[in-house]
Amino acid sequence: MRNTMLVGWVAAAAILFLLFAGGVATADEMKMVGDVVKIEISGPNAKTAKATLKDTKTGKLVTVIVNDDLTLDKFKDHRIVVGDEIRCKYEVQDGKNVSKYFRKTAGC
Amino acid sequence: MLLAGVAAAKEHPGKEYIERNGYQGPSTCEAQGCHPGTAKEFLDTVHWKHASPVPNVEGLEPGKEYGMKNRIYTMCNGNDIVNHLKEIPASPVTGKTKFAGCNTCHPGNHISDVGSVGKDAENAIDCLVCHASKYDFRRRRAYKDETGRVVMGQDRSKEAALSVGRPDVRNCMVCHESAGGGVLIKRGFAYARETDVHAKNGMVCVDCHAAKNHRIPTGFDPNNWASDGIRVSCEDCHKETPHKDGDLNRHVARIACQTCHIPRTGGAIAKDFTRWTQGADKFYEPTTLSKEANETTPVYAWYNKTVRNEPHFIGPKGSREEMGSRIYPFKIFEGKAFFDKKTGNLLSMDFAPPMSTGDALAGVASAAKTLGIKEYEPVPGWQTIYFGSTHLVTKEKALTCFHCHSRNGVLNFRALEYAEKEEEKLTNASIYFDKMAEQQKEEW
Ligand code: HEC
Ligand code: HEC
Ligand code: HEC
Ligand code: HEC
Ligand code: HEC
Ligand code: HEC
Repeated sequence: MRNTMLVGWVAAAAILFLLFAGGVATADEMKMVGDVVKIEISGPNAKTAKATLKDTKTGKLVTVIVNDDLTLDKFKDHRIVVGDEIRCKYEVQDGKNVSKYFRKTAGC
Repeated sequence: MLLAGVAAAKEHPGKEYIERNGYQGPSTCEAQGCHPGTAKEFLDTVHWKHASPVPNVEGLEPGKEYGMKNRIYTMCNGNDIVNHLKEIPASPVTGKTKFAGCNTCHPGNHISDVGSVGKDAENAIDCLVCHASKYDFRRRRAYKDETGRVVMGQDRSKEAALSVGRPDVRNCMVCHESAGGGVLIKRGFAYARETDVHAKNGMVCVDCHAAKNHRIPTGFDPNNWASDGIRVSCEDCHKETPHKDGDLNRHVARIACQTCHIPRTGGAIAKDFTRWTQGADKFYEPTTLSKEANETTPVYAWYNKTVRNEPHFIGPKGSREEMGSRIYPFKIFEGKAFFDKKTGNLLSMDFAPPMSTGDALAGVASAAKTLGIKEYEPVPGWQTIYFGSTHLVTKEKALTCFHCHSRNGVLNFRALEYAEKEEEKLTNASIYFDKMAEQQKEEW
């Protein structure tokens, strides 16, 4: 009885560990602030775009893939343009940086 | 109604005229007997004046109009007057300047500014920012003209004018999303399929905020004072007994729809205007703590649609005894800024000095000068604001029996004026046990 319970707990802990570790691996989320240096979008019906940001801390160029409609819309009508400062979160998927959050830092 | 809007967006009868003559602004909209008097009428709305009579807030000067034009509070410690659109002094680090100010969220050109009247004002209205689906926002930027005046640009291209229609969500969100100093800071409501049942049903802002002569209806958010005198509420479209479940319907008399249907809030939770933080561009912004849509929990209070307004508190009035009061959810916000020790009143701020150098007191001094306040003694202090919570409507995550009627439930019955004995009864599984047991049986 005691033993089975113990086994149960160990198994549960192992599963939890796996879940947790798995979670960390996929949610490898990067955060940065940077100025937009380039936006590549293929016209008004585009479903995806590439934006290149210059990391304000490191000066490095980072290119992210943007797929969400709200941000694409802001590229299309130029609410977001080259020179704007952006707070960006992205995940690395198959070697590509996929944007999860892409917002101007300043408002009014 | 929805259909009519879509049809109008497709086939605007003025298409040919605009193609031939181009777009000169409101005069084009009013040409040839189309939409006569619209511009003049617009000048008398909240969206132009950023002010109106305010009947439901205490402590205001009678006869005076209030709104973003002149209000002083701690979500936006400036306003159109003290923090008007201008060129911010160069950052000592980069030597660069930028344009900023509250009235960037005004559909004028800044020469004809908030509340201006007359022909020039009429001609300055940016009709297309609300009506065009192809607006190029590179043109809606502040710049200095030949005479050194700061002008807010507009897109008056033929292409934009040819795309006119009923305002879409984006037209409204251009301004409403960026209120409070950044994306979704002020109210934190992301209006999207994932976050709102109405968005999921394809509804747009103006399906609910259906304007009459450019008077846009609002509600009774304790912190949204200016109104065009018309109001919108959930009950305009839904019956007061909208549920199949009679137990839910019985609650509507004392509990607002929002309380159950908007269980979360979002946006800024606190801001400090006494301490500005330097950003990557070396300009400073007030230090702000912000959360995403649905990341924060509301506070619940009785509300009779009149507002307690004191230097350290803006929020709902109401009580359990009063039958006109209902329990509403509020997004709570705390702001730190300077108060005048002499009068106890909150002081306002011109953002230009602190934006450039981080010196918050220089901002207070500049605002005091604009307002003609000669003597004041600034001391830091906090103000609590209750914001109404009316978007982010959900059906699936709506609060139900056990969310409220349990010991660790969302309502603090004692704070809501229920006696200890009543609380004991109201936070007991016996209230909902049979019902939920029955539901559970059905579900499995
Ligand atoms: C150019 C910027 C701008 C645009 C575009 C805009 N708003 Fe506003 N709106 C404001 C500002 C600023 C206020 C606050 C005025 C005040 O309180 O003094 C406001 C206030 C409101 C209010 C409360 C006051 C009232 O008039 O009832 C509602 C509701 C509202 N807006 C809805 C909308 C809708 C719907 C749209 C799209 C059709 C829209 N707004 C487009 C800037 C804008
Ligand atoms: C702040 C946003 C805003 C601005 C700026 C604005 N409108 Fe509107 N307009 C609306 C809204 C909201 C409606 C109502 C849409 C609905 O309920 O279907 C509307 C409706 C209309 C309509 C159709 C209904 C009616 O009243 O006849 C016309 C025409 C119109 N606007 C013209 C103009 C003109 C011309 C201008 C510039 C002088 C202008 N609008 C500026 C928001 C705006
Ligand atoms: C399903 C209907 C509905 C839709 C869609 C809707 N609103 Fe509202 N909105 C309301 C109601 C109802 C109120 C007033 C509630 C109250 O105070 O009683 C309100 C209030 C407001 C206010 C006043 C401040 C506040 O939050 O109470 C603003 C500003 C506003 N809405 C803007 C918008 C914008 C912008 C959109 C589109 C992105 C939008 N609304 C979409 C129903 C709606
Ligand atoms: C302009 C009319 C209008 C207003 C105002 C309005 N609604 Fe709705 N609401 C609708 C429509 C239309 C639908 C989608 C059709 C349906 O399911 O009834 C809907 C759907 C809903 C649903 C989902 C119903 C379901 O069965 O999936 C809920 C919950 C809801 N509304 C609550 C609210 C609340 C709470 C408010 C006030 C904050 C509000 N509504 C304001 C028109 C409105
Ligand atoms: C005490 C909490 C509570 C209050 C108050 C409340 N609702 Fe609901 N409402 C719910 C819950 C929970 C559901 C989901 C029921 C379900 O899924 O079976 C719901 C469902 C709905 C639906 C879908 C129809 C149905 O029966 O499932 C609509 C529409 C709706 N509510 C609108 C409103 C409106 C409008 C108000 C204000 C007049 C309101 N509700 C007030 C809790 C509440
Ligand atoms: C948003 C919180 C909330 C939800 C959800 C809620 N209730 Fe209530 N309920 C209250 C409040 C507050 C009262 C007291 C109302 C008053 O003062 O009249 C109450 C009163 C009652 C009463 C009357 C108790 C008495 O003796 O006076 C019953 C019964 C009840 N609720 C059952 C339910 C059931 C069943 C559900 C689910 C279908 C439910 N409630 C959902 C908040 C809630």
